Amino acid sequence: MNTLEINNLRKEYVDHYTGETIPAIGEVTFSIGEGEFVSVLGPSGCGKTTVLNIVAGFIDHTAGDVLVHGKSVHGPGPDRGVVFQSHALFPWKTVLGNVTFGLRMKGVPRVERERAAADILELVGLSGFERKYPHELSGGMQQRLGLARVLVNEPEVMLMDEPFASIDAQTRRKLQQDLTEIFEKRRPTVFFVTHDIDEAVFLSDRVVVLSARPSTVAEIIDVDLPRPRTWRETVEDPRFREYTHHIEERLGGGEPDAQAG
Amino acid sequence: MTTIDSPARTVGRVRRPGPRRGSEAVWFVVPFVLLVAIWWLVVEVTGTTARTFPQVTDVIAALAEMAASGDLARHLGASLQRMLIGAVLAVVTAIPFGIALGSSPRLSAFFSPLLRFSVALAGIAWIPIATLWLGYGDRAVIFIVWNAMFFALTYNTVLGVQQIPVQTVRAARSMGTRGPRIVWEVLLPGALPSIVTGLRIGLGYGWRGLVAAEIIATNAGLGYALFLAQSQFDTGVIIASMVIIGVLWLLMDRLLLAPLERRTVERWGMKAVS
Repeated sequence: MNTLEINNLRKEYVDHYTGETIPAIGEVTFSIGEGEFVSVLGPSGCGKTTVLNIVAGFIDHTAGDVLVHGKSVHGPGPDRGVVFQSHALFPWKTVLGNVTFGLRMKGVPRVERERAAADILELVGLSGFERKYPHELSGGMQQRLGLARVLVNEPEVMLMDEPFASIDAQTRRKLQQDLTEIFEKRRPTVFFVTHDIDEAVFLSDRVVVLSARPSTVAEIIDVDLPRPRTWRETVEDPRFREYTHHIEERLGGGEPDAQAG
Repeated sequence: MTTIDSPARTVGRVRRPGPRRGSEAVWFVVPFVLLVAIWWLVVEVTGTTARTFPQVTDVIAALAEMAASGDLARHLGASLQRMLIGAVLAVVTAIPFGIALGSSPRLSAFFSPLLRFSVALAGIAWIPIATLWLGYGDRAVIFIVWNAMFFALTYNTVLGVQQIPVQTVRAARSMGTRGPRIVWEVLLPGALPSIVTGLRIGLGYGWRGLVAAEIIATNAGLGYALFLAQSQFDTGVIIASMVIIGVLWLLMDRLLLAPLERRTVERWGMKAVS
């Protein structure tokens, strides 16, 4: 059984000014297996974040099903952890307070919470920053914390909404590399939304390419690149370029946003 | 993962070390010293009589007299007690009400015209009706303090809740935060910068309301002391009472609100909206 299944998902909304019904998601079906890293890629405005928001339970869908381990989901829940582009950390909580938040909500005792937090902070490279507040961290560190805050809860599936999109190019490379290492160590199930083709291919086991709005699945590509992956080795692999060129063509080549950071 | 990107430079006010804070305090006092000097000089040069405006020394004498006779302690005690009760009542009523309005678009749409209307009327304009309902005494004054604070505090709490990014609330929900726990874990701390602003504005309104209500409705308190001195043409006591009212407000702001802000909003890097 797949960890996450998205079946015939459709989303329409009513424009408040014109009263027209606008289709946002035409028909999207794909699934993610346990321990699999799947990216959803598409031109900006194609509705990929809408798909993620529906899976997260933040917004309703018009038709279709979202199943986690075969069970239909409604509303947000700790089985689906979300890493936001805007990181959405709690500014009034320390690094430790942010990381232990989900465990506290679950009722995990303090000692256990802090032990789990120490492991995760070590994993994302934030040991020693426990007492800092989010505003005292750099953008890259904030996003590591956003990742740690979700990883520590061991959700069934991690939903990542363009987490590196607003981070400078060099730090982004480093974060992608680190995310790959973390993924290879822990094997969480990941649903990753991005508009960066290189990022999608580098990180993923499979890439789901969405068409422009109303979005449908244009193609699903198996990324057959060896793990562990490093940027240096992966970009030299001719298959990496084949994948990215193929996806570029699929997206219409000229789509400037698909290449932009 | 061995290397780490460097921490961001801390934005906003950094806590100053001891000596700097000391010099800050000195600079805080300087304008007041200047004001007193000018006051003394003007009264001296123009030969103004105490009937019109007292000399600095008259006011100091009046203060000493008030302190010695026990009037100062009595008025101060009465005023502060009413202020405290009114303020606590305002906090425990306005913040929950504001959070309820802020988290429900329907409720806030319904109440916001009423709220705007009431902000203009809050406090002093209610004194006649307060004395009709509650008689002359503590209860009417406490009602005025509560009333003066309530609307400003509610309004700013609503604003604070509405300014919390939707992603922050979503993050909490997706980590299993349910029902009323959202209020305690997210809405209250998230709205705190704006709540502190509301508290500051509200306490200012409340303080003014207190003095006005005491002038009319009681036989103790700083406002009453002002009123009594006026009927006896005692300008020394009038100005002395005004000075006490002003100094108390400054102390409240510096010793209560500023530390609250430093420990929460500034520490968290959430700038207070003003």
